[in-house]
Amino acid sequence: MTIRSNHGPVSRPGTDAKASPAGQRRAPALGSQRIRDWITGYLFILPAFISLAVWWLYPLVYSVYLGFTEWDFMSPQKKWVWLENYVKIFTHREFRRVLWNTAYFSVGTVVLGLLGGLILALLLNRKIRGLPIYRALMFSPWITPTVAAALVWLWIYNRDMGIFNAILSLFGVGRIDWIGSGQGLFRMWAMPSVIIFSVWKTVGYNMVYFLAGLTTIPTELYEAAEIDGAGSWAKFRSVTWPLLSPMTFFLFVVSTIGTFNAFDQFRVLTRGGPGDATRTMVYYLYQNAFEFFDVGYGSAVAIVLFTLILLLTLLQFRASRSWVHYG
Amino acid sequence: MATHMAKTQASKNARRARRTKSLVSRILAHVALTISSLLIAFPFFWMITRALMSAEELNAYRFRLIPQVMQWSNFREFWEAEPLFGRYFVNSAIMAAGVTVLQLVVACLAAYAFTSIKFPGRGILFFVVISTLMIPVVVTYVPSYIILARLKWLDTFKGLIIPSAVSAFGIFLFRQGFSSIPRELFDAAKIDGAGHLRMLSQVVLPLSKPILVTFIIFDVVGYYNSYFWPLLITSSPNMRVLTIGLTIFFIEKGYYGIRWHLIMAANAAAILPLILLFVIAQRWFVEGVATTGLKG
Repeated sequence: MTIRSNHGPVSRPGTDAKASPAGQRRAPALGSQRIRDWITGYLFILPAFISLAVWWLYPLVYSVYLGFTEWDFMSPQKKWVWLENYVKIFTHREFRRVLWNTAYFSVGTVVLGLLGGLILALLLNRKIRGLPIYRALMFSPWITPTVAAALVWLWIYNRDMGIFNAILSLFGVGRIDWIGSGQGLFRMWAMPSVIIFSVWKTVGYNMVYFLAGLTTIPTELYEAAEIDGAGSWAKFRSVTWPLLSPMTFFLFVVSTIGTFNAFDQFRVLTRGGPGDATRTMVYYLYQNAFEFFDVGYGSAVAIVLFTLILLLTLLQFRASRSWVHYG
Repeated sequence: MATHMAKTQASKNARRARRTKSLVSRILAHVALTISSLLIAFPFFWMITRALMSAEELNAYRFRLIPQVMQWSNFREFWEAEPLFGRYFVNSAIMAAGVTVLQLVVACLAAYAFTSIKFPGRGILFFVVISTLMIPVVVTYVPSYIILARLKWLDTFKGLIIPSAVSAFGIFLFRQGFSSIPRELFDAAKIDGAGHLRMLSQVVLPLSKPILVTFIIFDVVGYYNSYFWPLLITSSPNMRVLTIGLTIFFIEKGYYGIRWHLIMAANAAAILPLILLFVIAQRWFVEGVATTGLKG
């Protein structure tokens, strides 16, 4: 992490200046140069720290404060309610559902997205013709706006006009209301539909990262494994997986955080519905703070979300010791 | 190796078997790749072909791949139905450009200070920057909204751009990039009497071009596509960004998806600039992934 750069006048040992005050006085130019460097350094990081303080650190602290209050953006006074918002969060039945939805979405999207990305990368990791074309096609969902892509998928999922149901009808399967409120068994499709969309959106991105990781694995290792008589699976287990694990871990952490922050696709595809079937924590926060103007409650949800992501990331780092191998 | 040599015939057979095996696996790989990339690209294909169909054709022939007659007039029709579309596009471009330039300047200055200037507290301050990476941006939205309201910045470009002025990830990324520049180059520039600003602009930045280009591209795409923050703070039609404009168009002019051909035309028009950028800069996307991923 830290860089020990050989910066500044190397020839001037620090002890010299400390030992003899005379030496310090003898070189006033160097001292003032040093102070000037300090000032420049602070000036250079000043814009970053002002922005961090105003738009990141202060909001975090302010959210903590707001979480203890009741407010609607409008009234002149905020009412201090102690832990009432948090008590409400953890006793509301709806929050349990929100938590479950968040976990469902996160696990589904991360697992399928990483698995798909890994498989595609393994397929592409050879001298293959048309690599740039495959790669471009697979990466393209990631650069399109989630909103625009979701509008296309809204139509793909459409009950009456959508291509999914049109294909299913060829096999005599009835119409599934993918993202709407179906009945009985057909009711459960909303979250899987959002997950499928999100996997589609991210799988190419994961693939490009995995491919970058795969190309750094030296081919000699595979040759050595082959001489030992290893088959494809054994080679994957003993060479690819361990050497790819730092990249897998990186993608694992980044995609988990990404799923906890996902909003756009929920807003366009389902608006948290049908009922509360796709209401995740971010959407719950949005609704409470910006639709119901329950600022205190929304902020408390935000703090819970923040704590959850923090704990989860720490957990992932702790668990990574057992399966991530840094070369 | 010696045993290898002794069994030449056996190894020849083995090699031939391996070659056919690799040929089969190569063909299988191509088949799998073709199917999966077609599946992934399918929504784009569907969007573009539906954007060029008449409403009647689109409703009547659900499996038709290519429109019988290309209805280029759909694009004119959607443009006339939503005259503000050009405005939305400009707004998104201003937001993306504004945020990117601001983040670039702020992050370059900070990253330079963290790599090349010694000052007390440098390590701790960098740690503070990195730890803000743990704050999900959603958590900052309510307070940031309140700040904007107090500053009377709601529904303005300032409100869209300035809260995103700093990217902790950018500082982290640039610090990684800058610290790989050989120190001798700094010393040489210093002997020439270059100050820190000149050192940054004439030594460090030109040598860090790949990482800068990557950051710019990812930032432009990210903020051009952003939706949540503009949704919260803009309200007047003139301040809508493209993503908001698309959803409004879907609801108001597409009648919740009755005029799909126009909605698809609008979508295609919105995505087009990104596709162009991607085609031009594909190399940078891929290289960027390699640099950001492996170092992150």
